[in-house]
Amino acid sequence: MSDEIILDVKNLSTVITTDRVPVRIVKDVSFQLRRGRTLAIVGESGCGKSVTMQSVVKLVSRNYHITADHVLYRSFRSGAPKEYRLDKLAPYGRVMRSLRGPEISMVFQDPMMSLNPVYKIGDQVIEGLLQHNPGMKKREAWARALEMLKKLGIPAAEQRINEYPHQMSGGMKQRIVIAIAMICDPQIIIADEPTTALDVTIQSQIMELMKQLQTEDRKSIILITHNMGLVAEMADDVAVMYMGRVVEAGPIQAIFENPLHPYTQGLLKSVPVLGMARDKPLIAIPGSTPNPADLTEGCEFAGRCPYCEAACLRGVIPSFEAEPGHQVRCLRSAHGEVN
Amino acid sequence: MAKYVAKRLLLTLVMIIIISFAIFVALNNTGVDPISFKLGLDNYTPEAAAELREKLGLNAPLVVRYLRWWKDMLSGNFGYSIAHGYSIRSGLIAKWPATLEISLTAMIVSTVIGIGIGMLSAIWQNSIVDYLGRMIAAIGNSVPEYFFALILIQLFSVRLQLLPTSGRVPAGAVTFWDRLPNLILPVAALAIPMCGNLMRYTRNTMLDVANQEYVKLARSKGIPEWKVYIKHVFRNSMRPVVTVLLFRMTLLLGGSVAVETIFSWPGVGQVLTQAITASDYSVVMLYTLMMAVLMLTISFLVDLFAALLDPRVRLDK
Ligand SMILES: Nc1ncnc2c1ncn2[C@@H]1O[C@H](COP(=O)(O)OP(=O)(O)OP(=O)(O)O)[C@@H](O)[C@H]1O
Ligand SMILES: [Mg+2]
Repeated sequence: MSDEIILDVKNLSTVITTDRVPVRIVKDVSFQLRRGRTLAIVGESGCGKSVTMQSVVKLVSRNYHITADHVLYRSFRSGAPKEYRLDKLAPYGRVMRSLRGPEISMVFQDPMMSLNPVYKIGDQVIEGLLQHNPGMKKREAWARALEMLKKLGIPAAEQRINEYPHQMSGGMKQRIVIAIAMICDPQIIIADEPTTALDVTIQSQIMELMKQLQTEDRKSIILITHNMGLVAEMADDVAVMYMGRVVEAGPIQAIFENPLHPYTQGLLKSVPVLGMARDKPLIAIPGSTPNPADLTEGCEFAGRCPYCEAACLRGVIPSFEAEPGHQVRCLRSAHGEVN
Repeated sequence: MAKYVAKRLLLTLVMIIIISFAIFVALNNTGVDPISFKLGLDNYTPEAAAELREKLGLNAPLVVRYLRWWKDMLSGNFGYSIAHGYSIRSGLIAKWPATLEISLTAMIVSTVIGIGIGMLSAIWQNSIVDYLGRMIAAIGNSVPEYFFALILIQLFSVRLQLLPTSGRVPAGAVTFWDRLPNLILPVAALAIPMCGNLMRYTRNTMLDVANQEYVKLARSKGIPEWKVYIKHVFRNSMRPVVTVLLFRMTLLLGGSVAVETIFSWPGVGQVLTQAITASDYSVVMLYTLMMAVLMLTISFLVDLFAALLDPRVRLDK
């Protein structure tokens, strides 16, 4: 049962046009989210993690052009699973909207900017609840919101719920944003850097809470983060992105113990990972991130890769299955030279 | 809040005293003598002028005259035009309704149309509505009121002979509908530029707000688009739009001076034009003072609306 796929994304691409110049930001991204599991998406800033997830749920503006073989969401909410082709739905149509909140919800990256300055916290938390539960009384919704704020460890919640965003600290806002995402009891939570504004103890508190929900209710989580410690703690599966592509994906042990893509290897060496060899020095990946508009052919990482050869500069590098469930987009894996 | 309002009112009062004194001093130093207008070229002799000056109390020191002026104002005695002799109450104060009629009508018309089309332009960005709206806005923003007045007269009165060119109440008019034709052109001349301005401002503000992260978050709750636009985008655009709208009101009154002259509309604008040329300070003074009071009231209203519409302002006080 643990391998029920709740979200299946196949070859998702997003082109963003700015000033009439189209740039491919997300390229043929495929991943699967298992029910009751956590998928971590990692990769350096600007590699397209946020754009990928926003493209999946189509919370994008008009200058985004999204294509995909399929984006399949399987709802297990009531009885027999029901399937939705998200890629075929109108972004702001009735069906897509009915999924946003009760089925799939998002915690956005920037809590400072994510709350509407003119409404009370409570009103912002209950808005989705009232939308998806026609007939629910405002009082009841308010009570539910209060309960959620308490669950998230907000002190003096009765008072906080009546306050406005500008009266709150960053950490508090972050928790409100999380409350908004969780209030409709969603099946999938997409959390984009959900704890960056929080201090370490609160961070682990919130993560603990998410983890708890997950085990109790079989919720699925997509966790976008830079924090490898968090990945080690939370994730079941990992997808590593580089310049709009998933360059390596697999179960967490495979990625952490046997990273195959040179970028993943570099990434793991460049960040401290909790519980991993503490005495090893941190080594930065040489070179700098290319501009997504400049990339044309071949492997995106070629310019910074120590193993780069002529074949790496041509065409699109395919994905290879190095071991069951462990995919790598690197020609070295095709030759079988590992490490 | 009450304390804040009281503070603002006090400040407004102080401002009025300062402004009125400044105007008083300035008008006394223009070098144009209203007495010479009063006497006319034929009767003017230095002796007659001196006598009249004494009679009108113009020889007292400036400060005394200023205080005397205040005493008159407060007792409801607005005095007489020095140059033309008419009573200010009937010659200036009584003209306000006519001026307010065109400027308030113009304001209401341009608010409804300007904000309405501005909103639609933002929601349907790059649609026909948006292009037409932007075109009108560009024209309205670059052409002054009096120019529209002339074009409108040329088109609707001279060519098409549909609407009258001047006056407020046509002979034999009884109902509002009889007077309506006279109202249309002056109101249109005033409303078009303001409309253009509001349209552009509403559109740009809404597009700005629509790109905010909190609008994305609102959409992620699954609420319908009309709610996103009304509750989140428009609600957050209201404060800047209302501010611009209120400040445009003073410009509207300024614009009505020219428009009234062109359409022979019997409002304060006409009286003012006359008074300025004669340096008729009792008239100019009161007009300017009324404008100052209006401006201060408006800026007070702007602050009040800001506090009403935005908790960040309200709770700071
Ligand atoms: N609305 C937009 N218009 C144009 N370009 C965009 C837009 N949003 C994102 N991009 C570009 O897309 C690329 C990927 O951005 P994205 O926000 O997905 O990165 P990320 O992986 O989430 O980074 P971070 O870790 O900093 O959040 C960046 O190069 C960014 O400049
Ligand atoms: Mg991001």
